[in-house]
Amino acid sequence: MKEKIKIALAQISCKRGDKAENTRKIEREVTEAKQQGAELVIFPELSVTGYTMRDQIYELAETIPGHSTTVIEKLAKKTGTYIVFGMPELSEKTQATIYNTAVLVSPDGFIGKYRKMYLPTHSVFEEKRYFRPGYQTPVFETELGKMGLIICYDIFFPEVSRLARLKGAELIVCISASPATRKAFFETLTAARAIENTAFLAYVNLVGIEDGLQFWGGSRLIGPNGKALIEAKYDEEDLVIGEIHYADTRPTETFVPMLKDLRPELFDKLKETAEKL
Amino acid sequence: MGGYLKLGPTILDLDWSTVETKVKLFIKDYVEKSQAKGIVLGLSGGVDSCTIAALSALAIGGDRVFGLLLPEQETYNTRDVEHAKLVAEKFGFKTEIIDITPALETFYNSIPIFEPTEKLCKGNVKARTRMTYWYYYANRLDMLVCGSSNKSETMIGYFTKWGDVAADISPLMDLYKTQVRKLAHHIGIPKEIVIKPASPALWPGQLAEKELGIKYETLDLILYGLEHFMKIEEIAQQLDVEKEQVSKIKCRWLSMEHKRRMPLTTKIQYRTMGADFRLPRTRC
Repeated sequence: MKEKIKIALAQISCKRGDKAENTRKIEREVTEAKQQGAELVIFPELSVTGYTMRDQIYELAETIPGHSTTVIEKLAKKTGTYIVFGMPELSEKTQATIYNTAVLVSPDGFIGKYRKMYLPTHSVFEEKRYFRPGYQTPVFETELGKMGLIICYDIFFPEVSRLARLKGAELIVCISASPATRKAFFETLTAARAIENTAFLAYVNLVGIEDGLQFWGGSRLIGPNGKALIEAKYDEEDLVIGEIHYADTRPTETFVPMLKDLRPELFDKLKETAEKL
Repeated sequence: MGGYLKLGPTILDLDWSTVETKVKLFIKDYVEKSQAKGIVLGLSGGVDSCTIAALSALAIGGDRVFGLLLPEQETYNTRDVEHAKLVAEKFGFKTEIIDITPALETFYNSIPIFEPTEKLCKGNVKARTRMTYWYYYANRLDMLVCGSSNKSETMIGYFTKWGDVAADISPLMDLYKTQVRKLAHHIGIPKEIVIKPASPALWPGQLAEKELGIKYETLDLILYGLEHFMKIEEIAQQLDVEKEQVSKIKCRWLSMEHKRRMPLTTKIQYRTMGADFRLPRTRC
């Protein structure tokens, strides 16, 4: 496993419903990021389709593996990069069960996927109308390190990142489609999830306007001490590249020992109490 | 390729007695809850407006339904006026006829950039002027405006934004054009009205099917397939039409969403019109 890696945060806007155009943009960004030395390129939530699909999702969702993953796997192979991107995933076992999924591919092909657990269905969001929630928190052991994936609203629930960290993830990748009215929450929570887990956190948000929703960008790479290593611009497309050294976790973990001080017995109480909310 | 849906004329069949009951109940309930004195509607003499006028009269009584006939010189059609009067007489609702030609002329003359050969711009003025009359009457008489838009034309955006589609309620908006014809026949709208070619009457000689380039019988089945998430290829194959034609209609349906929703705004604050203000229609 590499001790330090270069990560590109590909903060793009998407053309709603146009998978071919969005995939071409992903290809351009990966090529550019690779030229700048990136080994891992991360795209926003639902970056293959755009976020606001409404009923068009039923014709845009694809199985994994499927056409879009095959195209991006080839891109990973051609450029020798790892890529994280988002897409609506159609269940292989049914015809209209869809997940909001993050996919990780490598130069050797498909590595794995994460299905969003927390689906916002309030304010402007209607994800539970369209998506089934995920039930797994996989952690992927790669030559770039152990990675956990989460998606947008998952970051409001510390247990998702915590579980990934406890399974060994040293880098938590959060892909997002966060509208501008949520900016302050994410600026706080991205740092909080990194600190409380003493892990690196890469946050990549969408930009652009979809059906009146303005996505604010502000993608960032955060160290285990909560400090941003790099930040992308607000409100416009950007490609920023930062380097993380896994050894940098140690000084934080030593004197801010969140994992050492965990109290597992509280988790049982949490469960009992939460059920009675 | 096959599916559980087989597109053919019978797929659009409904139990017309049940539909009639539902529409009448809907109108009566909304008028009562709004505490309105009745309904104002535009009456062109076409099958849609005649059907909704008749159903309104059956729902709340003809003395509470006011049909406005608003002809104008360019598209004046004696037969349409006769049809409107025939239905009013049969179903017992009130009508008033107003020639809107002078209002239109005054409006055209007041516009420095008015161009008479731009027939769509000019035609839309007619539809929006009629809307202004309906709402004047509704305000003045403490009534509601009842629209006559059907599902086919609403889906493909074949209407004037803020014009003929403007209404407080549109009870027929979930019925395709060919279904409205069947409902019309069921409630006793005279046959000559049911079968006559549809026209928005925005300019002389305008005929809906000619302008759209498709018969409503085919259009409705294509739209029904799209409504049920059928793929373009499947619809084209079942109806033996070109894929391009289905694709064009699908594109038109999707790209006309702006005509069917509140104006888009940018979300700036906590709760936003058209986005996350989700309130029931209430009268306090």
